[in-house]
Amino acid sequence: MSTSEATGARQASGDEQGGTARTGTYVYGIVPSDVEVSDDARGVGGESAKVDVIRHGEIAALVSELSLDRPLGTPNDLVAHEGLLDATAAEVPVLPIRFGAVVTGPEAVVDELLAPHHDDFLSALRELEGKAQYVIKGRYVEQTVLREIMHEHPELADLREQIRNQPEEVTRDARISIGETVNQAISAKRDADTQAVIEAVTPICTLTSLRDPSHELDAVHLAVLIETDRQGDLEAALGKLAERWADRVALRLLGPLAPYDFTVAPSAGES
Amino acid sequence: MTVQPAAGGGIAQRPSASGLADVIDTILDKGLVIDAYVRVSLVGIELVTVDARIVVASVDTYLRFAQAVNRLDLAEQSKGLPEIMSDMKQGAVASKGKDVIQGVLESAADKLEDIVGRPGQEAEQPAPRRRRGED
Repeated sequence: MSTSEATGARQASGDEQGGTARTGTYVYGIVPSDVEVSDDARGVGGESAKVDVIRHGEIAALVSELSLDRPLGTPNDLVAHEGLLDATAAEVPVLPIRFGAVVTGPEAVVDELLAPHHDDFLSALRELEGKAQYVIKGRYVEQTVLREIMHEHPELADLREQIRNQPEEVTRDARISIGETVNQAISAKRDADTQAVIEAVTPICTLTSLRDPSHELDAVHLAVLIETDRQGDLEAALGKLAERWADRVALRLLGPLAPYDFTVAPSAGES
Repeated sequence: MTVQPAAGGGIAQRPSASGLADVIDTILDKGLVIDAYVRVSLVGIELVTVDARIVVASVDTYLRFAQAVNRLDLAEQSKGLPEIMSDMKQGAVASKGKDVIQGVLESAADKLEDIVGRPGQEAEQPAPRRRRGED
């Protein structure tokens, strides 16, 4: 790592012929060519991973040199990738590239990525101008939602009596029956509450994209693309829901983020 | 290349740190796949990220819910439902919804600062910026 500092400090693209044994060029995303990165920006790979901009025409790629000596995917790697892209998205449009994209060198970025796809990338960036992604996450408060379900499903009272103070081994069937009912009830609530969130935010958003739940108590998991100057409207709409659902759903809003959920590549063979 | 909602994919197993869980949910299977654009000069590098998975209800989930219902019973015995309900209402009073979500937004911003300014990156926000405004 420390031996690569010399190359990391060198001028951006051009003067080093990449493709030699131990380093590659890590690609984060595509941005307009008038973007500048401050000298202290660091990417995947720690201190030596100085972030550079490789420009071609009206677009550019955010890249850093990467040592190929170790596998990628530590928590720091993931956080560095998203951190750079999200900080970028707060300022300028960016097309995020999936984690782990490495090519042989800076010239490959121009010849294979930027030059052949210049117009496609440019029109997508223009569509994204002034917009960013936000993610809405809601998690049921378990105690509250279970009480709701107990009230809505009186048949659970009997089953609950059966398992009370009984070891799991002898009440397995009753437990599974309870669990199934609870799980179905939560799924139904999730559908209804997700729909309520979508209805509340749709007038504010350019696009919405439903995410799969990432937890069994998820109430909503939704990505939205909005104009960044409408962030206040989004907060207000969600604030109303949070008020209505106080002590029932813990709502979180993450963003601004790069538009991970709204950039779609052509299927292989196209273009 | 279009800007449109991507089809939902698998969701990552969540690790203990919630900030990292959000990162993994967001980036692991999302964003442009470089292979669709770059064919010749790809460098295959080993990825050690956690396996992506979709949350599916299993017997374990059911047993965990049953245990939660069982525990909920005990809580009700010791306190009594009406009392709990009135506690809940009190909690719900005072329109703190807005504060709740604003607090969340601030912490999301904190999260980003944490990410960008984590140890070894003393910069406060080394974000790419426009050279010349063209908004």
